[in-house]
Amino acid sequence: MVYLTLGIFGVAFVLIVLEFFDKSLVALSGALLMIFLRILTPQQAIEAIEFETILLLLAMMILVNIASKSGIFEWLNVKIASLTRGNPMAIFLFFSLITAVFSAFLDNVTTVILIVPLTIELVKGMGKNPRPYIFAEILFSNIGGSLTLIGDPPNIIIGGAADLNFLSFLLNLWLPVLMVIIFTLFIFIIVFRKEFKSISKNLTELMVANITIRKLKNKFVRTTIHKDFVIKVIFALILTFAGFLMQRHLGLPNFIIAFSSAIILSLFAVKRVHIHEAFQSVEWTTLFFFAGLFIMVAGVENTGILEIISQTVVSSTNNIFLLSLIVLWVSGLVSMILDNIPFVTVMVPVILGIQTHFTGDTTILWWALSLGACLGGNGTLIGASANVVSADLACKNGAKISFIDYFKFAFPVTLGILVICSFYLFIRVG
Amino acid sequence: MQNKIDHFSLLLRDLEAEIGTRDVAELFFNAFIGSINSFKVENFEEFLLAFEELMKILCCTEPRFGILNYHFENLKCIFSKLKFKKGVSSNWKKRIIKEVKNVIKDIRNHSSELLMYAEKLDVEGKTILIHDHSHTVQDVLCHYKSMGKKFRVVIAEQDFDKTHDNIERLYNAKIPFQVVPSYMLSHIHDRIDMLFFGSLTLKNTMNFVMSPGTHGVISEFHFAKIPIYLFIDTDKFSLWNSKKRGDIFIYEHKRQHHRKQIEYERIKYSHDRVPAQLFTKIITNEGIFDFEGIKKLYIAKLNKGC
Repeated sequence: MVYLTLGIFGVAFVLIVLEFFDKSLVALSGALLMIFLRILTPQQAIEAIEFETILLLLAMMILVNIASKSGIFEWLNVKIASLTRGNPMAIFLFFSLITAVFSAFLDNVTTVILIVPLTIELVKGMGKNPRPYIFAEILFSNIGGSLTLIGDPPNIIIGGAADLNFLSFLLNLWLPVLMVIIFTLFIFIIVFRKEFKSISKNLTELMVANITIRKLKNKFVRTTIHKDFVIKVIFALILTFAGFLMQRHLGLPNFIIAFSSAIILSLFAVKRVHIHEAFQSVEWTTLFFFAGLFIMVAGVENTGILEIISQTVVSSTNNIFLLSLIVLWVSGLVSMILDNIPFVTVMVPVILGIQTHFTGDTTILWWALSLGACLGGNGTLIGASANVVSADLACKNGAKISFIDYFKFAFPVTLGILVICSFYLFIRVG
Repeated sequence: MQNKIDHFSLLLRDLEAEIGTRDVAELFFNAFIGSINSFKVENFEEFLLAFEELMKILCCTEPRFGILNYHFENLKCIFSKLKFKKGVSSNWKKRIIKEVKNVIKDIRNHSSELLMYAEKLDVEGKTILIHDHSHTVQDVLCHYKSMGKKFRVVIAEQDFDKTHDNIERLYNAKIPFQVVPSYMLSHIHDRIDMLFFGSLTLKNTMNFVMSPGTHGVISEFHFAKIPIYLFIDTDKFSLWNSKKRGDIFIYEHKRQHHRKQIEYERIKYSHDRVPAQLFTKIITNEGIFDFEGIKKLYIAKLNKGC
């Protein structure tokens, strides 16, 4: 039965990586197979699904979708483009940082969908190569996403499994994320200094930049932005994040806070966005992928193999720093080539197992897992969904990015990022 | 240099298709103010050199934009007469920005003057056919509405975005309208009292450059002897001798059959050239003209120097 379970999980994992079928279909098929083969009972399968995680994702998808329809994000992007006045360095800095901020609160794919096409249009419109800017947005979407509980799916899984709230993520991850941001900006400025050269002494280039910025205003900002809708969206977003920050005092789980905001916004914005539209935009395949994955991992957990892995890791060392380094680098390197969601789902019971063998504070392992899984995805073009979507958007907008081009730049940068995270873990444990 | 010209041409062409010539001009001069503000040079002489380079590019864009060239020529004349003390960097910037702002004011004033002349047309109780998405025509219709005139509009369908732009503007102005496919206009000749069009420019060949499809519509209604009016600011005129060229941009692209797996080539043309003789009257910011009148005005403007 153990081999059968591992076989099902292994085949499903390979199919997910190779993308022969939609990953939700693979995960659900694997889960059903485990139930048919009596590896899990239907009751156990239902219990294995982390509904808090799925409902939090669902609520955030509804909330972000309604918020996007107000045009607030496009408006903000175009405002930022205007603030840069066409200065390449300012475009790089502003758009990289706004990507990090957006992806800390929205999901990374939504962030790049909002930002990448506008950046390409702006930079290409100015007659410049958009590649460095797209690279930056890919990297910063993953960096920003690692900061918060809702920024990246692995964090939602970790938060749900380890009972870590929004504030814990912020308090524990702001420092390494800040260090990583400074490091990454520095590398970009060094490597792409020629591309970011100022155009302030060239009137023709300034004209092209200023015309392009005004053109973007026409294209990306709808002619009529309804102020009442925007105000309601801002109110709902503030309400959500305030709720997340005060979660302990409220005594409510994250998904209830997110759902409350989504429903309040749906009620207030009923004239602008029909609830059918909001529900249709939910990425149901992602949610079912999570459900299937949780069931499959529960099946693997039932075999006891994950407990054996935990014991092996613990018996190899009792140094928590070394353990956190192993978690960080393994998750970082694996996330470069594999989907980090199934990996983190498997790692959760492993870390829970490790924790049972330690008496002290072992939450550092969760931060190591979060940093490794979220930031490791930067290493290759297939490392995270945001990378793949950005590359697609770039290709559609006439700026093809090859795997090798991206890898040559991003892989060493990601190794540098993991070194910085290791340094942070050292400070924390020391 | 050629790269810069091509780049400018593409940028302006795309913009013109999206927002129309007059709005391109306003956008262009606002962008010019933004560029002057960010431009870091020591003195006015250095600015003049950069300005002349920009002008050279603007003279060679494909197509050449009459309204931009006209105002740039005027600015060149004004700038050439300016004198500034060396070392006082901010003064010259303030002064030239003031001149560019005057250009924007001029463009707006011309629009108001054109509306004044448009008031002379009798539209009361009439049905007006429009086809292009000329902002000038839209402004004229909205102006009539604000004057309390009662009239109806028939929109002849063309590109989806352009038709919808017309619909949006008329709907917001509460002007009653109907939409008819362009290829079905022959059925409504008797219902149409007059036609309104806008234009990008007037060439020395006495052809108006207009939205694609207008030539067919105008010819059809000219044949049916229904009055056709064209609205254009005179600063849009192309005041140079045009080279004989194909000068219509062709967009070739692939399209998919809506049900079957058939991909086919589709060709779109950027503009139509419509002879000025086909218009009953041409309403400008300088008055209302027939063909002979507009020809005289054009020649006078062409011969007038700096």
